[in-house]
Amino acid sequence: MRMIHVIGVGLALSFASSTASLADPVDYPHDVVTLVTHSSPGGGSDVFLRELSKYLGKQIKATFVVENVQGGSGAKAMARMAQSPADGSIFYATTPTYIYTSLLSAPEYKYDSLQPVVNFFTDSEVIYTAANSPYNSLQDVIAKAKEGMGKWGAANPASLERQAAEQLKAAAGVNAAVVTHEGGGDMMINVLNGTLDIGVGEVQELRSQLEGKQIRLLATFNPERMKDYPDVPTVKESGYDVVLQKFRGLAAPKGLPDDIGAIWDKATQAVLADPEYQKVYQAESLVPNFIDHAKYPAFVNDFVDKTAAFLKQSGVIQ
Amino acid sequence: MDFATIWTLSTTTWLIPAALIGLVWGILGGALPGISASITMALLLPFTYTMEPVVAIVMLASVYIGAEYGGSIPAILIRTPGTNSAAATVIDGYEMRRQGKAGEALGISLWSGFLGSLFGLLMLVTMTEPLSWLALSFRPTSYFGLGILGLSVIASMSSGSLVKGLAAAIVGMMIATVGADPIAGINRFTFGVPELLGGIEPVLVMIGVFALSELMIQSGAPELNGLKEKIRIRLPSFDMMKRLKRSQAIGGIMGLFEGLTPGGGGSIAAFLSYNEARRWSKTPEKFGKGSPEGVAAPETANNTVASTTLIPLLSFGIPSSNSTAVLLGGFLIHGLLPGPRLFEQNAEVVTGLYFGSFIAIVGQLLFGIILLPACVWLVNRPRPYLAAYILALIMSGIYTLDHSLFHIGFVLGMGLLGYLMRRAGYPFLPLILGVVLGHMVESSYRRSLVLSAGDHRIFLQDPIAVGLLLASLAFILYSLWSEFADSAKSKRKAAPKETSI
Repeated sequence: MRMIHVIGVGLALSFASSTASLADPVDYPHDVVTLVTHSSPGGGSDVFLRELSKYLGKQIKATFVVENVQGGSGAKAMARMAQSPADGSIFYATTPTYIYTSLLSAPEYKYDSLQPVVNFFTDSEVIYTAANSPYNSLQDVIAKAKEGMGKWGAANPASLERQAAEQLKAAAGVNAAVVTHEGGGDMMINVLNGTLDIGVGEVQELRSQLEGKQIRLLATFNPERMKDYPDVPTVKESGYDVVLQKFRGLAAPKGLPDDIGAIWDKATQAVLADPEYQKVYQAESLVPNFIDHAKYPAFVNDFVDKTAAFLKQSGVIQ
Repeated sequence: MDFATIWTLSTTTWLIPAALIGLVWGILGGALPGISASITMALLLPFTYTMEPVVAIVMLASVYIGAEYGGSIPAILIRTPGTNSAAATVIDGYEMRRQGKAGEALGISLWSGFLGSLFGLLMLVTMTEPLSWLALSFRPTSYFGLGILGLSVIASMSSGSLVKGLAAAIVGMMIATVGADPIAGINRFTFGVPELLGGIEPVLVMIGVFALSELMIQSGAPELNGLKEKIRIRLPSFDMMKRLKRSQAIGGIMGLFEGLTPGGGGSIAAFLSYNEARRWSKTPEKFGKGSPEGVAAPETANNTVASTTLIPLLSFGIPSSNSTAVLLGGFLIHGLLPGPRLFEQNAEVVTGLYFGSFIAIVGQLLFGIILLPACVWLVNRPRPYLAAYILALIMSGIYTLDHSLFHIGFVLGMGLLGYLMRRAGYPFLPLILGVVLGHMVESSYRRSLVLSAGDHRIFLQDPIAVGLLLASLAFILYSLWSEFADSAKSKRKAAPKETSI
């Protein structure tokens, strides 16, 4: 999308320049830093980067531009990254999607052509049910699955949500059909009309149904309870040992110098502590989860191993 | 409707200009081959970030209205559907243009689109509550029934040879299986090409088989002579309006249902309404040969969808098509959550959206009349120039889609396929239907069976599915019977050569 790209550049420029003059940012070897996402404008990672670029300018003396490299669920964006210089002038918004695409589609350039730099957030993954359903807790849902057969929904076939549902099924030792969909909207209808007992999804994508009291949250896959929904138990404390970490961070082309990584470690911590930015990300139930440039590659590799094992076990890849 | 709010919004904000600008942008985007309604909206989305929420939403919704209409312009004039949902309009629209009735066809499409949009808006404003219940009643099994009903149309669209029609449909459904499989996520027929991972956009197939094959055929045909066309757009006369009423009503109803249910985004409604309009027409034999009703039905349907698709968005916050997903993005960026609470918390946004849509719909009629004569003039330039420009337009449009040369090669291949099919007398429509519906039929069938652990009785437990499947069966049997009766008749007297669409 060349046009989107141009529009995006212009917009991020205006944001960055308006905020850059307010604070005292550290020097950076590049005047312009490109932040690449495979999302379309308005999509998850696109919004993440555009919000982030407003506050990054306070910490790093550079202009941040967002570039949408759509296509192939991240395959194109990874190719763009792998062919770019590893000098800190370009970063990619990472989510589990690029790992899934690497494993499932085996594109020319994969996750291993990239170097994870810093992690910002963990998205909150939850289990929800229709407001008028008979299930009041995760235990009710499991009990129903024990008796007959549970019907659980996941938004996409190759997704962390499906993996979560399969892991929960194994942990609880029950019989449940894990029904995959093509997008969250499709699945939401099936939860609302009772075709499915529960759905698994990201809490920020459920805000309008939660506000409208059309659905209820039963549990979260987060390691700890969510700040804005303190009454919703974790899956782990409900008795099933499944914890998810849907990460959200930045990666660079392989071979990023250590000193640039160190600049980002500092900037990331400062951005996450920025009260204005805190307001924005807390409203979206994003849990800050800073991981520095030394530890992040190991974190992502661990995620890759677990995901690959799951995909092999469920027969999706060999 | 709160008239004080409307007055305030239209005098203190840029609501009305935003609706009209959005509309014109939508018409242009929709008219460019390859640029779908959702892409047209996404291109404009960043510009709306700084606008007032209600103005931004109105602008995006107006783009959608404009794009659904705009898609029909190239469909009629150059046999190129600008959007997926304009594919059914190609059939009779382009035939009318070949008969020198381009102005009339465009007028009918404009008028039908206007009526469809108005009807859709009326449903949106008055019936959102009861209709949202209907949207929830569709289960995976119901979608399977709907898909089969759509495919059953093949039998009656194969014009002559049922075997050839089925063969074309199977090729179409094979194309629909390319990409990550919808249930397990395994890649199928992707051959390591990243562009194929997400499947093949139906519009690429449509542009190839409809538009490129036509360019190939035309390049070998003599110049259309003696065809003096008036560069004037003609809105339907009173008599014509009366004649179109039935097909428009069918289009409106189909559009209403499709708007409520996630998935097709107008293309299925367009095909179903085309077929039903023919079935209920007094002159079904004229369909495919330049029937005005064949333009009216699908154009009413896809314009109705542009409004009714907002019903699930506003009542549940569920986007039922790519375009409404972009619109949802627009809501979220401005801190608005579509859903029942929107009506209480941001009632002015809802009122503004209704009113802005109304402005856009009226603007559609006005701008259509202003813009179209120029389009008609353009397509009446000497053929060698025209063909070269059409090719350039199509190729640049496709390239914009993903910046990929692969798509251009793919469309060229589809053009060749279309050319060969026409030479060998294979009909196109079954192929297109297979591409459009194949994915929905497969995914809903498999999803239903995952739900029932492989028990096919699940289809009998859903009354909607049973009704749709029975209707499909009746259509297939009727078509078979009439095919049989026709061939018995034609055996008695040597049949004239059949024409296929």
